[in-house]
Amino acid sequence: MTIVEATLESRSRRISDRLKKVKGQAAILAALGFIFLSGLFSMDTGDWMITVLRGLSVGAITFLVASGLSLIFGLMDVLNLAHGELFMLGAYVGWTVYVRPDTFMDVLLPLGIITAVFLAAPLFNRLSGRVALTGTVGRFVPWALVVVGIVGMVLVLPRFPLSIWSLDTFADTPVSNSLAFDTGVQILPPHATFDGSAFILMAVLLVSVSLVAFGIALFKKTEAQAPRVTARSLAPAIGVLLFAMASLLLNDVMTDWMYELGTTYRFFIALVVAAIGGFGLGALIEMILIRPLYERPIYQLMITLGLGFIIIEMVRSIWGRPEFTMPKPALFAGTGEGCPGTGVSGLFSGCSTVKVLDTRIRVYNEVFIIAIGALVLLVVTLLIKRTRMGMIIRAGVQDREMVEALGVNVRQVFTIVFALGVGLAAFGGVIAGPALGLSSEMGSRVLLLALIAMAVGGLTSFPGAAAGAVLVGLLQQFVTKLGSSGIPLPWLDEPFKPSPSLVPVSVITLMIVVLLVTPQGLFGREE
Amino acid sequence: MTEILQVSGIHTFIGPFHILEGVDLTIEDGDIVALLGRNGAGKTTTLKSILGLTPPRSGSVTFLGEDLAGLRPFEIAQRGIGYVPEHRAIFKDLSVEENLKIAEREKGDFAKRRDLILGLFPDLARLIDLPGTKLSGGQQQMLAVGRALVPENQLLLVDEPSEGLAPVLIEQMMEAIREMSENTTVLLVEQNFIVASRLATKYVIVEEGRSVSSGLMADLVNDEETIRKYLGAA
Repeated sequence: MTIVEATLESRSRRISDRLKKVKGQAAILAALGFIFLSGLFSMDTGDWMITVLRGLSVGAITFLVASGLSLIFGLMDVLNLAHGELFMLGAYVGWTVYVRPDTFMDVLLPLGIITAVFLAAPLFNRLSGRVALTGTVGRFVPWALVVVGIVGMVLVLPRFPLSIWSLDTFADTPVSNSLAFDTGVQILPPHATFDGSAFILMAVLLVSVSLVAFGIALFKKTEAQAPRVTARSLAPAIGVLLFAMASLLLNDVMTDWMYELGTTYRFFIALVVAAIGGFGLGALIEMILIRPLYERPIYQLMITLGLGFIIIEMVRSIWGRPEFTMPKPALFAGTGEGCPGTGVSGLFSGCSTVKVLDTRIRVYNEVFIIAIGALVLLVVTLLIKRTRMGMIIRAGVQDREMVEALGVNVRQVFTIVFALGVGLAAFGGVIAGPALGLSSEMGSRVLLLALIAMAVGGLTSFPGAAAGAVLVGLLQQFVTKLGSSGIPLPWLDEPFKPSPSLVPVSVITLMIVVLLVTPQGLFGREE
Repeated sequence: MTEILQVSGIHTFIGPFHILEGVDLTIEDGDIVALLGRNGAGKTTTLKSILGLTPPRSGSVTFLGEDLAGLRPFEIAQRGIGYVPEHRAIFKDLSVEENLKIAEREKGDFAKRRDLILGLFPDLARLIDLPGTKLSGGQQQMLAVGRALVPENQLLLVDEPSEGLAPVLIEQMMEAIREMSENTTVLLVEQNFIVASRLATKYVIVEEGRSVSSGLMADLVNDEETIRKYLGAA
């Protein structure tokens, strides 16, 4: 190729690049233009503003799910269909910490003991290397250990103290708990106690879980000698065990403290707990379910789909089928004297609503959620642009094999990114809880929006997921709003009113149009 | 001279295809070894098998006295092997500097060797903040070689460094590889026999997945029969 040809080719490539970019921007501008125009023609400014805010709010929640989905899909080609359900699970866990801190504190002890034992895996791997088992006995013993251990756990766990709501007595269902919480007449039940000797029960649990862990270690025993057990490799296990013990000794104190703390702080604790729990659960899911199936993507898809169903049924059996509300924290629930607040200062007055342009804006739903969405966008963008981890993610999206060949443990990065995505979804669930309420279907609704947002934005592009989520949210809210106010069209006597069933259709139409115009999505890049 | 890499009798499959059917090669400290052979003979697969990207099903790869069987590619790379793949594999979403920094195995690797790398490829210094997409083919090739120099490597696996480069750039690339080889041992896959013969001190010829001939490059250059038999007209 001559130099002239080369320059010509690079120039034509540059022009086509430019065109492609412009096409994406044009699509966004067209959508925004539609929103502004329809606003000008058919609603007053207040209505228009509230619709934009609601759209952004739906967009923010969609983004919290879509961001994780797109990071996971981009880096490891795994479409996690359980992502919506993990969002929902986050909401329920957050609700529990928020409304029933006593239940949360009670769960910490057994959960801590079980986690600590599995974190001590290096110890069990080393021990299993010392045991020489062959033949039938060698095949039988690991199974026996696991079965005996599980039986022990099943026998012991119900005897641990757990003060929890009841699904049978209406006055004590989650629905009633939420109502009592909201009206300020909630009384926590007396602290639960061990059914038997606390020491013996904990010892039996510890031994049972250890048997299971040891059995598993025997299953995967290999020729290679497991590395020596050092104090450092056991530090996490010991730390978690101490934490579990502390949660037992301080159970009453901590429960009362969390209850006294007030709803705002407890809400933020719930957010942190859900995010950390989601991170841990995500890491676990990746290591146990996803990792063995990287060679078989269809099976991964099926397993995440199945996992979603399992989570739905689990949530239904623990928290019950009926939907219930998650009361708003005090910071966003003020009423009465001096409320609604006005203007920007009104946002911080603790009122549940502020008046802007003669329109009431709900501070939590229409301001706080958007702010959180923007904050998460900022933090994750910084993580991707500025850290080594982010560099590896950006490189891995393009060429995993080469990143690995440079000496980077890509699988470990997979686990972290998956965990991060699930943590974000769980966090999003708690954020969405007070606005949407809790139901076991909330996850699948958000997942659909998030998948569409991803497709619109370009499947593997993180900014694309954000832009797609905002577009989807705005469109959905505008179609809803126009359904009641109608669009005045010059050639019709009556304003045209899109029916409510057009809402989901409109979002999917957006996806179809965008994908027809730019098949790789707004921010995607051609393969 | 000490032995850096010893590959003996490796068999590698890609899916159902038996690509390598017994490749042997030995690389000693300071060598530049050219891996020669026709298209599809298994040269690239040999490099990938050494790195564990396509792990051999049998046979052994020993690096600095350690058997690499069962190790994952990142663990093998961390033992001191740099890789410059065919088609460069530059990360498009990363700037030139990030493309170099991502190869760090310890913090500060790039800062330590920055002058060396930018000295070999002065072009890169000028482009350091540009995204990978903006580079020409030659610049990408330089970046790919530079990236392999960031961490301390005892062995570089370089796949087709001259492919698609203009003659001027080939000269520059050869100069850089020669300079590099003063510190590192190099295993080079090269289609262009003239380039290979000027760079390498030793050679190994692969034919249909088997290593069929090896020795000093100086001897091969005069052995027209071998050249014609395995490498076609040269």
